[in-house]
Amino acid sequence: MTKKSTKTITYIFITIAALISVFPLIWMIIAATNRSVDVIAGKLTFGTKLLENFQNLLQAQPVGRFFWNSCKYSVITTVLALAVCSLAGYAFEIFHDKAKDILFTIILTAMMIPFVALMVPLFQMFSKAKLLNSTVGFILPSISTPFLIMMFRQSARSFPKEIIEAARIDGLNELQIFTRMFIPTMKSTYAAATTITFMNAWNNYLWPKVIMSDNNAQTMPMMISNITSGYVTDYGMLMLAVFITTIPTAIVFFALQKSFAEGITGAVK
Amino acid sequence: MKQKILSVLLSAVVVAAMLAGCTSKTEKAATEPASESSETTEEAAAESGEVSETTESGDGTLTVWAWDKSFNIYAMEEAEKIYQKEHPDFSLNIVEVSWDDMQTTLGTILSSGDYSQLPDILLMQDFAFRKYASTYTDFFTDLTDSGIAFDEFAEGKLGMSMVDGKNYGVPFDNGAEVAVYRTDILEQAGYTIDDLTDIDWDRFIEIGKDVLDKTGYSLVSSQAGSSDIIMQMLQSAGGSIWNGDGTPGYVENETLKKCMEVYKELFDTGVMETGNNWDEYIATFTSGKTAGVINGCWILASIESAEEQSGLWAVTNMPSLPGVEGATNYSNQGGSSWGITTNCSDVELAEDFFASTFAGSVELYDTILPGAGALATWIPAADSDVYSEPQEFYGGEAVFELITDFASKVPEFDMGVYYTEANTALATAVTNVCAGGDIDSELQTAEDTVNFDMGN
Repeated sequence: MTKKSTKTITYIFITIAALISVFPLIWMIIAATNRSVDVIAGKLTFGTKLLENFQNLLQAQPVGRFFWNSCKYSVITTVLALAVCSLAGYAFEIFHDKAKDILFTIILTAMMIPFVALMVPLFQMFSKAKLLNSTVGFILPSISTPFLIMMFRQSARSFPKEIIEAARIDGLNELQIFTRMFIPTMKSTYAAATTITFMNAWNNYLWPKVIMSDNNAQTMPMMISNITSGYVTDYGMLMLAVFITTIPTAIVFFALQKSFAEGITGAVK
Repeated sequence: MKQKILSVLLSAVVVAAMLAGCTSKTEKAATEPASESSETTEEAAAESGEVSETTESGDGTLTVWAWDKSFNIYAMEEAEKIYQKEHPDFSLNIVEVSWDDMQTTLGTILSSGDYSQLPDILLMQDFAFRKYASTYTDFFTDLTDSGIAFDEFAEGKLGMSMVDGKNYGVPFDNGAEVAVYRTDILEQAGYTIDDLTDIDWDRFIEIGKDVLDKTGYSLVSSQAGSSDIIMQMLQSAGGSIWNGDGTPGYVENETLKKCMEVYKELFDTGVMETGNNWDEYIATFTSGKTAGVINGCWILASIESAEEQSGLWAVTNMPSLPGVEGATNYSNQGGSSWGITTNCSDVELAEDFFASTFAGSVELYDTILPGAGALATWIPAADSDVYSEPQEFYGGEAVFELITDFASKVPEFDMGVYYTEANTALATAVTNVCAGGDIDSELQTAEDTVNFDMGN
């Protein structure tokens, strides 16, 4: 087989794979412009009901408030999680000793505990602390995650120790070394961590649905669940809601995708 | 030295964050109910002003959890308006919680034992009501002597929210079984709606084969992997999946076996079309693959979503189970009831609200019937003129009156405490039977599964 024909086959394969991956997204957008009956019937062409679906959605659900709640929770969670976990990962690597390694193993073990197992005790605790239906209640369980700590620790491993020594000689204190030397060098790791944390926080569903029982505190994924809960589901409206819910995570991902691949592998430039 | 201090500090931050957020809260919650740290957080939260209590006490506001904005929540809002006429200070805080979400939330709240987060009132699916009420005996308020006139509700429906002879729920919507057919397709095959009224499943299959031959349309559809239609057949024939002592009774249950045989024949002959999921099921009749639908009357709203088919549909009763004594053409699918929780801030107010609205206001049902198609299970509501109004979508038939009549003839059905488990096991059996499995052995497996689920 010639080199050219191998390349052609590869391209055909990749194109098909790409189409299969993108199809649900395209279908979602098409469905958002059609009537519910047409969506169910499997119509694959754009319709003219986008505005109507949008009006129905606005009428049925307080989209603005839910969208704002989701944005607020996700941004705060992301900022705090990055601050806490990067500091932790840095400390575990740069100042490591035997005791801290044991502690790190314990933290990693926590990754294995499924969230469902923690839900009831967490709920009891948050209820006693009167943190239900609050922003603090939403973000607290997710600002320190073993996965992010591990990711930052792995990245810190490739951070040259000589830089730290040089900075110390130049008179920087430890916190300054972290903020002025480590953070700028680890931009790609931060980008990857931002993408992962933001997506997780935005799509977080199980925990908020347990603690957010107030209409004013609910989020976009909960709104989607509410739309599907009736005797009759308006699929056009539902797909539009899903589309709107996807936008912020898509923006974050596309804005940071360049650094994402680098960051996830822990590269230092 | 400096390095060491910093490293200790940083590690402490992480451990503190982990304690607060992730790992060790199990012990913390269990052993230190009033620890200093939780008090501190409490203060912080109070300062931020974000905490809102689920229930507000004594100010005439009741919190309600319900799903479906255009049906249940709409009905509750209308009830609120009616009650406000006499009680201007009364208001409801209705929180939209989907049924699936509610189960997760209730599961967490009830197993944590912290009932303070329960709403005052909540809507509960009929098939789950008794399970919750009997598993968590302190979940619902006993309404037996509340002054609500329970004798004015359809008996079959009332039983869904009763445990040990006590009333725990106020019945709400009606799920009486309807058979709805496309008259234009029937006409092509030489039939009318009368030919499908008061028939049994043998005759149905006969007509179904003929319609399929002549028009290419199946006469009914169902959702693959669901046993709903079997349960509906069973109820119509006065059967049960439970023995008198509450144990599952699948094996040597002749009525159930007959239902399975009918189902298999419907499937094998092509008279019944199957959709792989709920959406596909809806599509079978809205986008014209089948000429009929047999389900609870709430399915009408889905049928009506295909506006261009207005005037083509007609409603009648479902086929009866042949060869079974006492078999009727009436059954029920779905429906829900309202419950007042033990966390209710003002039980008397909640009871009076229900006694004056869902269990006492013809005006309410007159509003929600045309507004949402919500049919009452409160018998006095059916006398209203609204019920006899002709419906254009069904060729001018007074369908609501008809369905109310069907509802009054539905045989009582013991859903049991473990209905969900029983239904799932039956669904597996049905799927296997359609794939060629033996009915008796599949029913045995289903019974064993339910026994296992129940811990027997």
